[in-house]
Amino acid sequence: MRIQSIARLAILLGLILGACGCTSLGVKPWQREILARPEMALNAAPIDAAIDDHIYFSKEAASGGRSFAGGGCGCN
Amino acid sequence: MSAARAGAGGATPPPHAPEFEVVPREGGIVAVCFVAMASPCELLLETADTHTAHEMGRVAAQEAWRIESKYSRYRPESIVSVINRSQGHAVVVDGETAALLDYAAQCHLLSDGRFDITSGVLRRCWRFDGSDRLPEPAAVAALLPLIGFEKVQWRASRITVPAGMEIDFGGIGKEYAVDRVLCLIAARFAGAALVNFGGDLAANRAPGTGPWQVGVERPGTEREARLLLELSRGGLATSGDTHRFLLRDGVRYGHILDVRTGWPVPQVPRSVTVAATSCVEAGMCATFAMLQGIGAEAFLEEQGFRYWCLR
Amino acid sequence: MQLKRPRSPLHLGLMAASCALLSDSARAQAAPDDAAEKPLQIDTDLLYYKENAGRVQTIEPVVSLKKDFGDQRLLDGTLTLDTLSGATPNGAIPSRKPQTFASPSSTSLTPKPGYKTTLYTIGPGDLPQDPHFKERRVAGDLDWSQPIGLDNTVSYGGHASTEHDFDSVAVHVGLSHDFNEKNTTLSAGIDEEYDRIHAHGGNPVAGSDYALYEKEPSQTKNLAGGLIGVTQVMRRNWLTELNYTFDHSQGYLTDPYRIISVLDDTGAVTGYRYENRPDTRTRQSLYWVNKVALGPTVLDLSYRRGKDSWGIGSDTVDAKLRIDLGSGMYLEPHARWYHQSTADFYNLYLSETGPAPTYMSADPRLAAFAATTFGLKFGIATSRNGELSLRLEQYQQRPSDQASSLAELHGLDLNPNLKATIVQLSWHLEY
Repeated sequence: MRIQSIARLAILLGLILGACGCTSLGVKPWQREILARPEMALNAAPIDAAIDDHIYFSKEAASGGRSFAGGGCGCN
Repeated sequence: MSAARAGAGGATPPPHAPEFEVVPREGGIVAVCFVAMASPCELLLETADTHTAHEMGRVAAQEAWRIESKYSRYRPESIVSVINRSQGHAVVVDGETAALLDYAAQCHLLSDGRFDITSGVLRRCWRFDGSDRLPEPAAVAALLPLIGFEKVQWRASRITVPAGMEIDFGGIGKEYAVDRVLCLIAARFAGAALVNFGGDLAANRAPGTGPWQVGVERPGTEREARLLLELSRGGLATSGDTHRFLLRDGVRYGHILDVRTGWPVPQVPRSVTVAATSCVEAGMCATFAMLQGIGAEAFLEEQGFRYWCLR
Repeated sequence: MQLKRPRSPLHLGLMAASCALLSDSARAQAAPDDAAEKPLQIDTDLLYYKENAGRVQTIEPVVSLKKDFGDQRLLDGTLTLDTLSGATPNGAIPSRKPQTFASPSSTSLTPKPGYKTTLYTIGPGDLPQDPHFKERRVAGDLDWSQPIGLDNTVSYGGHASTEHDFDSVAVHVGLSHDFNEKNTTLSAGIDEEYDRIHAHGGNPVAGSDYALYEKEPSQTKNLAGGLIGVTQVMRRNWLTELNYTFDHSQGYLTDPYRIISVLDDTGAVTGYRYENRPDTRTRQSLYWVNKVALGPTVLDLSYRRGKDSWGIGSDTVDAKLRIDLGSGMYLEPHARWYHQSTADFYNLYLSETGPAPTYMSADPRLAAFAATTFGLKFGIATSRNGELSLRLEQYQQRPSDQASSLAELHGLDLNPNLKATIVQLSWHLEY
């Protein structure tokens, strides 16, 4: 069924990334100076992201991804 | 009474050992000795308890090593090295570094541009080893465009040093460390304490037996005089010209450089010792005086500083 | 030794500067975490959104406060005001003849004493859209997060919003665990949302004949969802995150304002029906985002694959490049590409002949289309850690299904492209 394929893809990618986590991927605590820059945060501009999510939620069928896929507005 | 021997100028730095030694001195004072920032360092505490001395010593040594590792231009992981490698790109700095950069900027203004943390590039052609090898005027002139704190952009926690330029906190670091260590000790230790990093000192108050007796050595001076001072509270710093110089045709070129010409400031005093509220203030004042060259004494006199000047 | 002379201005200046150095650095050292030095962050944003052809226009101010209580305990509150106006398509397709509709707030389709009727007429060939659309929405969010032990963080929060025809409350809880020297983080969360729909003029009976204008009192829907994700430090300059989210909605999922045109064999309009969507919907999405630093430049690249039980599959690729301009300024170009397939029950129109389907909708948001966004953001640093920025974006939707072979519809654009301009001004402050 079409729905199951996405779950399978998720598990596969998750296992790959998980396996990577156990090997030499990553940095030592004193090597985090680049990652510590504010623009390197995964959600560096949260209000921009919230505004975009709201716009795309009201104009498109898919939503969410970064966090929950909820709506909270009557625009869809 | 305790005797604190302070040496002016730099001795050959012993190798860095991450340890410290507790040595009882006379008069109810315990000294904790270690090496940091290429200087012999000591923390004098009015206590009979060696356990407390160990604890305080650990605090002092770790703070000194922390500052050294964070601001030494010789350490690749230091923020100074990161900034000097940034090739003209902005570097975001933390609160402590921001405070030091603000201080460097203020001192640059207060000294009419004579104090400049970007002047370190002159090291590339000046080697003060007592010989008569002066650099080529062209070589010095070539470095001048790479000097000037006004060329550094410093705002909003971001510093941008143009490519080819460098900064270093050599003129502030040791005195800052003295004040920081004293601050940390004073927060944890009820008695009198004195911090001495190779001649730059600060004390929080006098021991019960009377003020700290400080002997400022000024070797190589004409009178080989040892200045004896009494210090209760505050900072003391000495700027000296005795060891690092070049001598050619009977003219002495000291290591205090004029950033506007790239050449040594002429007729710098042999030694200037200043007492002030903090070690950082005393050290900067002594530096300002040296930068005045022939006008050092007049400068110190007019500005109302407590000083001892020797030519 | 007594002072020989009073302290000069330079002496006082040096004293003050030295004092400031020691107290500023003491303060910085006491709170080594820079975030704790500046415990309050205030963000004020203003969004202006405008679609083409007289369609929806929005002005949306947003205020957000974030307070750090020390030790990574964070409180985050946001207030959003949304004022919308402009024309919104009602789901019917253009026709060669003029069409007349009643605005949803009407209580009768035809003028009758004692009833309110607001009608609007659409010219031949024009897309039917209700010009009386006006909405005001207020939304609030409050979130709390704090560490548990050394390697875990818990977060929870709520959301509430209200507008004339829709109210919503939602709560969420999340947990994350760091390991591998904080190089890997596993996250999981659940959320629950409860909505009440009370359309202007009442909720229409789903699938009913438009001419009958039958309305029902308010209805509800709810949504339960979950998320699992893994964040991994790949290199000193590369961070990646993979999230899987799923949710299940049930209740009144139909759009109360949309109708679908009913046509005869030639394509002439014979009537309209209210749309009718299934009362359950399950959605899943897989989202992969990367942050890569290339010197002072930062690349944000993400891909999302979505699928739901209404048959809509979607792909989204989003890229942003933050270019440092020096002096605390940056420029960030942005490009996004989106594609979705059509919902199982979507139709541009219904045929008069043949059986009426159980579920039906002509909502262009359930149709197949490709959409692109191109934008540019400019930011400048102000005071310590503050920032002012301006973002300009152009969004365009291009539906796949826009024409029909029926005689009456020949040459008409049945589902026009949508274009929108987005302008956002932001101001970030830290205290």
